Amino acid sequence: MPLELLLILVVGGISAIALLLHLSGRSQPKVMTEPQAREAWFRQFPENPILELTLAKDGHAALVRTGDDNAPLGLVWSFGADTVARFLEGAKLSPCQQGLHLHLADFSAPAVQLHLSQAEAALWQELIESPSAPQPRAQEV
Amino acid sequence: MDTVSFPDVTQLAVPIFIAAILGEFLWIALKGRGGRYETRDAVTSLIMGAGSVASGILLGFIAWGFFMVLWQITPLDLGTSVWVIILCFVLDDLRYYWVHRFGHRIRWVWASHVNHHSSQHYNLTTALRQTWTGTFTFMMVVRAPLVLLGFHPALVLFVGGINLVYQFWIHTEAIGKMPRWFEAVMNTPSHHRAHHGRNPRYLDCNYAGVFIIWDKMFGTFVPEQGSDPVDFGLVYNIATFNPLRVAFHEWVAIYRDMTQPGLSLKQRMLYALAPPGYSHDGSRDTSETIKAKHLARQPQDSGTPGF
Repeated sequence: MPLELLLILVVGGISAIALLLHLSGRSQPKVMTEPQAREAWFRQFPENPILELTLAKDGHAALVRTGDDNAPLGLVWSFGADTVARFLEGAKLSPCQQGLHLHLADFSAPAVQLHLSQAEAALWQELIESPSAPQPRAQEV
Repeated sequence: MDTVSFPDVTQLAVPIFIAAILGEFLWIALKGRGGRYETRDAVTSLIMGAGSVASGILLGFIAWGFFMVLWQITPLDLGTSVWVIILCFVLDDLRYYWVHRFGHRIRWVWASHVNHHSSQHYNLTTALRQTWTGTFTFMMVVRAPLVLLGFHPALVLFVGGINLVYQFWIHTEAIGKMPRWFEAVMNTPSHHRAHHGRNPRYLDCNYAGVFIIWDKMFGTFVPEQGSDPVDFGLVYNIATFNPLRVAFHEWVAIYRDMTQPGLSLKQRMLYALAPPGYSHDGSRDTSETIKAKHLARQPQDSGTPGF
C-alpha cells in the first residue's frame, strides 16, 4: 500500500472515529457516587480499607484516608469513563481557577485537575496539606 | 538475487480495521450491550496503533537485517509451497505464544507489551494499542530458529502479520462464546478477554495468538468465568491518555528502579529481568503474591481455574 494512502486512511480513520464517539456522548467523565468511589478505591487497593472518604460535589474525585496511620492520603478520580486511584505520596498542590491542580510523582499518572468550588477547594487543600487534622466532613465506613 | 516477497497484511488490513471498529461501535450503540467506547481511550489506542506501524517502518530494518544474516548462514531452504506456509504459520504461532509469555514474565519485555494492556476498555481499538518499542526487547531472536530451519524471512514476517490480523477480532465484548469446537482449538474473544483481565484469577494466562492449544499444552489456560467478570486493564492502572507516556512509562519505571542508590548489581538486573512486580525489598506485588493475597481473602476460590 502506498505510504500516502496509508497515511490518509490512518488520519482520516482516527478523526472520523474520534468525531463519532465525541458526538455520541462518549467523552463524558465518570461521575461517582460515594459507594462507587469506595468500590473504585478497593478495585485498586483491596488491602487498604477506607477510614474516611470525601467525595467532590461533581463526583469526579474523592479523597481517601485509609486505616493505616502511616499511609498518605489517597485519591480516586475519574479517568475517562473509568477510574484510577493513587496514594498522594510526593504530590504537589497548586490552587487554580477551576479548583486544585495536583502534580503527582508518577510518570504514568502525572497530574490531576480537580474541579472544586472555592469552599470545597479550601477544604480539600487543608485535608491534603494537613492529613492528620480532624476531618469534619469525613464519614465512617 | 532474493526475489521472495509477501504482502504486508497488517497494512492491507487497515481499511478493514476501521470499518470493523465503526461496525462494533454501531452494534454497541444500537444494542446497548457488548462493550464500551470512550473517546480519548479509543483515540489513544488508535494513535498507538499508528505509531506501531510507523515504528515498524522506521526500525523494521533491524530485525530484517538480523533475519537476512541468518538466512545467509543456513543451508536449508524449505521454499514457499502452501504446506510450508501452513507449517510456518503453526510454528510461528508457537513462537508467538512464547514471546507473549516472556512479555508478561520478563519486565524488560513487559515494558514494551504493557501498553497493549493499559486500556480499561476492551474493544476493537484495544487490539490496535500496540507497542512502539518491540525492537528493543530483542525478541526477534525467538524467530531465529524458524529462519535457520529454512523458512524465508519474508515468509516468517508474512505469517506473523496474519497472526496479528487474526488477533484483531478477538478484542471484543460483542461476541460471547464461539462454537465449542472452535473454543477448544482457537483463541477466541472469550479466551482473550480473560488474558486482558486484571482480576487475580486471570493474571498470566491465555498467551495464545491463534491456537489456544499452546496454553492447554503448557498449563497457562484459564477459561473465562461467568462468576468472575473480567476487569480489564492493568493491576496498577495508568492515568494518562498521552501516547508518549503510554508507550514509555514502564521503561521510565525500569530506569528509575535500576538507578536507585544502594542496590547490588544483581538487584539492578532483576529490576529489568525479573517478572513485573519484583522489588529488592519485597515491597511490591508480583502476580504470584497477588493471587496468594486474594486466596487469603477469598479461600473459597482455591482450586478454581487460575488459582
